[in-house]
Order: sequence, then structure tokens, then C-alpha cells
Amino acid sequence: MTTAKTDEVVKEPPVPATPSDQRERDRMRRRLARRRGGGWWPYAFLAPWFIGLFGLTIYPMLDSLYLSFTDFDLLTPPQWTGTENYERMFTQDPVFWDSVHATLVYVVVSVPLKLALALGVAMLLNRDLKGIGLYRAAFYLPSLLGGAVAIAIVWRQVFGGDGLFNDFLAWFGIKGQDWISSPDTALYTLVLLAVWQFGTPMVIFLAGLKQLPKDVYEAAAIDGASPVTRFFKITLPLLTPIVFFNVVLQIIDAFKTFTPAFVISNGSGGPLNSTMLYSLYLYKKGFTDLQMGYASALAWVLFLVIAGFTAVNFIASRYWVHYDD
Amino acid sequence: MGHQISRRTLFRTASGLAVAGALGSALSACSGGTGAGSTSSKLTMTWWGSDDRHNAYKKALATFQKSNPKIKIQETYSGYDGYFDKFNTNIAGGSAPDLLQMDTALVAQYARKGVLAPIDEYVGKTLDLTGFAKTLLAAGTVDGKLYGVPSGIGVNQLTVNRSGLEDLGLKLPDREWTWADLKKISQDVYKKSGGKIYGVDDGGGGALQCFEIFAREKGETFFSDDGTKLGFTSATLQEWWEFWAEMRKLNASPPPAITSAAHNDLTKNAVVIGKALFTFDSGVYGAGGSITDAQLDFLPTPQGDWSGAREGNFVNGGVLLSATKASKKVADSVKIMSFFAQDDTAIKDMQLLRGIPPTEKARNLIASGLTETDKLNMANADYISQRVGKATNALPAPVPPPQGADQIWDLLFQSNLAVAFGKKSIKAQLSEFFDQAPGILGA
Repeated sequence: MTTAKTDEVVKEPPVPATPSDQRERDRMRRRLARRRGGGWWPYAFLAPWFIGLFGLTIYPMLDSLYLSFTDFDLLTPPQWTGTENYERMFTQDPVFWDSVHATLVYVVVSVPLKLALALGVAMLLNRDLKGIGLYRAAFYLPSLLGGAVAIAIVWRQVFGGDGLFNDFLAWFGIKGQDWISSPDTALYTLVLLAVWQFGTPMVIFLAGLKQLPKDVYEAAAIDGASPVTRFFKITLPLLTPIVFFNVVLQIIDAFKTFTPAFVISNGSGGPLNSTMLYSLYLYKKGFTDLQMGYASALAWVLFLVIAGFTAVNFIASRYWVHYDD
Repeated sequence: MGHQISRRTLFRTASGLAVAGALGSALSACSGGTGAGSTSSKLTMTWWGSDDRHNAYKKALATFQKSNPKIKIQETYSGYDGYFDKFNTNIAGGSAPDLLQMDTALVAQYARKGVLAPIDEYVGKTLDLTGFAKTLLAAGTVDGKLYGVPSGIGVNQLTVNRSGLEDLGLKLPDREWTWADLKKISQDVYKKSGGKIYGVDDGGGGALQCFEIFAREKGETFFSDDGTKLGFTSATLQEWWEFWAEMRKLNASPPPAITSAAHNDLTKNAVVIGKALFTFDSGVYGAGGSITDAQLDFLPTPQGDWSGAREGNFVNGGVLLSATKASKKVADSVKIMSFFAQDDTAIKDMQLLRGIPPTEKARNLIASGLTETDKLNMANADYISQRVGKATNALPAPVPPPQGADQIWDLLFQSNLAVAFGKKSIKAQLSEFFDQAPGILGA
């Protein structure tokens, strides 16, 4: 609190002044006093945020950092074990590597596909058609349903052995398989679900596309640039800040994916750990296997990996993101 | 131990959630505890099961409350999925239920961690265990103390779609059947059904339901007597996996995609979806699904057909009712346990929904009102428990499984699946299994 200091600032030494100066200064002083007066009030209003920040974010984060160096089973007090959890993760835990593999594949495959689809659809929707609002809403809808458990359950039905997807394939005489319970395909049903929910980046792309200057396109059209050229030479370069924004957000999001993996595999991460996304493994360790210390260590590694990816993104962005100022 | 959850420990749990929270809302789904629990004036009771079991519990508890109006009970129930995840979270958050249905497979773990209340002091006073066999009470006994009252006799039996079998012109095997008989009839099912139905669901990864019994027939246990190591040899597991690899090759058992889909999901069980006629998963009966119009029957787990084979079946305690140590209402909880153990109306309400009732008196009470399938179920369970009782070559009943047991079972399941999907050879998977298991049990 800086109440005392501001009072001092306000109390300037009296200087000889004309009456009008004096009145002016009094008025200033009253106004300042009103603005700064009762200095604790703003903080009182901010208090819930501070309590949330320190109580629910900073303190628990630091505590989980501590826990990541302990053996903690939730039920009995934690035992300090040093870096054992981290060593175990990298040297003795094959499931950890399974989960890293599944997560990386998921991120690397789903994010580019999702963004490409989002941009493609955004460009299709960026025109003045009758009922365009309806189309936009329809394409955005899957994202609203987002991480919903219900959608994951539907997905499980659609890609199950006797699901809709196989019925669809049967029309073309293709004999399907159980996509969700085969270790070769299960992860890709999750990828497909992620790609299908492309609405959020699409809306952001759409907003970006709306801001692109029309005259540049007109000039390019006059010069005879094809639509493909226009896309690669004008749209994409002008859109890079938006692309960057979406890339960063989607990568972070993809790393944290939990619900669909949990629901579609019945919480098992199976078959053969093929859908054991990192967050799911973390959850299993903490709450099913009662290894909260280990789960905390896993959480910190995830945190660092996400931070690393984001940092790399920001550094790389200097070379490909163009701001027009 | 006697450790109570302190404010600090509680915060720690929150912190586990919060790191994930800081990274987003990955774990928000599991942070939705009510926080009520032992601070509430009501006694909280929780169980897992099917709708039928929920209704039976509720009906019985309503009767209990008529004669005990002072004990107010708050009931929470769900399926098995996530039941213990929620319980773990609740304990750590200081909102554990007062009374809960406990899994015999997990009771030792929770008892040793000081989560459950020992109830020996109530036995013979407010807890009436008249008619309970000592071997049955062993299911709830950990390190010499009683931590739960068994709800009934639990046996490992196969559930058979008998009418499906008859439709194919096949007869129900004799109860004294062997693994070779199982192989034979499963092949017959596949042949007679024109390749539409496999015989028995893949048991290669089924821990308690079948492999444990197979190991016991070999004279080995699943866990060592002190519960810290595996009790079976690599050779036994190899033989087991080879048996199932052959079963799959002969189409006596379904391909791995079907087995995999059924993991944690009874509605996808091979028998329920009509892809097999025999299943080791006893949960199928009562799960309903597409087999409801079939006449089910029950068989003991097959016997060893080699010389020197021992009786591998055993009897355990169905599910348990346990009180938590942090609860202030242990005495009231014990009254409810006693009620479910002895009260006529409770026994009639529960029928076979928590296993075959544990006492002679209770079995007689419900005998007349049973459905046809229930009668068959009880007859088979009776048969098994009598055979086990008479057997001279049976190993003692298994010790309560140690901490990490559920991870070992999962490893067994996944290993069998890896072999079945052709991702690993049996030899390679064996060494992986025996490499990983000690780490899990030692953790």
C-alpha cells in the first residue's frame, strides 16, 4: 500500500502564490485526493483475483513442484525422494514413453491438419452469400461442443466395430474394422475428432481475412495473378500473425488434450497405450495409481515442454511472421 | 499409521489439480467433489453396481431407516468406472464417505494405508457375524484385523450362453471340465456357427477370472504370500499365453479387437455382443445388454488336465462393506453392515446382487424367490465352494492383493493384447512383463 507516500506527494510545501493560483492548487489537491483517497479500496476489489492467483495458482504450483520430488500417495504424508520421480520417468517407465509418443504424434498430426482445414473453410466462408451466417454457425458448432464427454461417446460409437463409419464404408464395399480398439488406428480417431473441431481457429482466421486490404487483391487480379498465387503471395503472408497466434494456441491445447482420450478408451489409454495421451497418463498416475508425487513430476515436465514449444514458436516467428507496420 | 488428512495434505491434493489447472483445465473434470462428507450430519454411503443393485440397496436402506430414524443416510452410487478414482480424491480432500462398498482386491491396500477403520471391537456386539465362515471373513481381514464385512461368496465362474449353445446343437459341458474341453467346445462353436461365433472370450489377459486359477492349478499363486512379489513363474505364464495364442489361431477365441473393445466396458463383452458363448467376465451376468433373452448358465473355471494338477478355484468374499477411519460415524456404519449381513428384508432385497449370500440362513431365505438364472448361478457357486472345501490339494485362498496389484493386472491384459495384435512375440513380452512387474510392486 502506498497511501502514506501519496499523501506526502500531495502535501507540497506552501509557496507564495496569487489567490487564483492558490484556488487552482486547492482544486487540484482535492481532485487528487479524491482519486487516490481511500487507497485500499482498489485492492479490496482486486483481492479475489489475488487470492485466486496466489491460493489457487502460485501456491499450488510451487507445492506441486515440491511434491514432484516426493513419494506422495494422497493418503499418507509425502516422503522426500529427491529427483527419483524424474529419473524413473526417463529411465524406467516404458508407459511414459508410450504416452510421449502418442502425444507427439497427436500434436504433430492434428495441429497442422486442423489449422489447414480451419483456414480453408474460413476462406470459403469469407464471402457474401445468402445465409452465410448460418453456414458459419454450422461449421463452428462442433467446437462449441468442444471437449464434451457426450461428443467423445458419440465418437466411440461412430468408430466402433459396428459403428456408423463402417456402415458408411460398407456402401463402397469396403469392409471396415474396429477403429477404436485397434492400436494402429485408435489414435487417429482422436486426431480426427480434434480436426473436426476446427471452429475456433476458423473464426479467428475469418476475422483476420476480413481485415485484409481489398485493393491489393484488385491490383493482383489486374496483373493477372491466379487465385493460387494470390493465396500464397498475398493472403498467407498478410495472415501470418493470425496463423502464428493459432499455431501457438492449438499446440498448447493439443498437448493438454484429456477428455476424448479418457472417454474413448474408457479411461485405459488403450489399446496398448496407443491413446495414452500425456494428460491421461498423468491423471491415471495421480488419481488411479495413487502416485501424486510422480504425477506432479509428470505435470512439471509437461509444463516445461509446453513452455519450450511456445518459446521456440516465438523465436521462429521472427523469421516468418510479418506485421504490416 | 492413524494418519488423518491435515489441512496441508488437503492443499497438496489441490496442488496436484492446480498444476494441471495452470496448464489449462485438463483435470477440471475430476475436481468436482462436493466437499460434504464427514462434516455433514448425514452418514454418507457409497457403492458401485448396476441399476438393479442400486435399487436393492436403496430399498434395503429405506427399511433400515424406518427402524433407525436417527441415522440419516446419504446415498451415492455409480458404475465401477472411476469409482475408486473418486474415492481416492475424496479421501485426500477430507470428504471420504463414512461407509462404502469395497473391492476385495483393494481392501489390503486401503487398510494398510490407514484409510479404513478396523471393526473387530464391534464383532459380537453391534456387528452380528453369526454364520459367516472364517475363510469367508478372510476376504476382509488384513494383517489379522477385520476391515470389511463380505457381502457374499464370490467365486470365479464362466458365464455361458446356454440357449446359444443349444441352438448350435451343443451340450453344456460337465462341471468337471478341463482346459482341453474348453478348447474343444470353443472350436465346435466356431465350426457349427459357420464362423459367426467364436467360442470363449480371450482369457489370456484376464487376471483374477482365469490366469490366477490356472497358476494355482500349477501350484503357484498370483502374488507371493507376503504380497510383495509375483508368485508364478515365467514358464507358467508362457504356457498360458501359448494356450490363448492357439485359441485365437483356431478361432476358438475372438480376435484382439473384440477383446480390446471389451476392456472396461461390459456392454462390449464378446458374449454380450453375441460373438462368443463363454466368458470369464462374471460381471456380464446382470449387465443386461443383448444377451437378456438368452438363457445363461454357469460353470467353474476349467481344471488342469496335466498330471499333478491341483484344485485352482477358490472362494472369496464378493464385495465388502467397509467404514473409513476418518469417519466419526463408524459405530453407525457398523450397524448398517450388520443389518445387511443378517436382516431378513435386506437379504431378500439384495438377492444375489452382491454375490451368493454368505450365510446358510440367508441362502435359504432367498432360495424360493430366485429367478431361473439366479438359481443356476447359486447352484454353480455352491458346487464350486463345496468342491474347494473338499479339495485336499488346493492352495490356501489367495492373500489380499498388494498395492499395485491393479497395475499388474492391467499389465497382464495389455501384454496378452500385444501378443494377440502381433506387436510382440510371447518370448519378448514375457521378459518385458517380468522386467516391469517388480518395479510396479516395489513402487
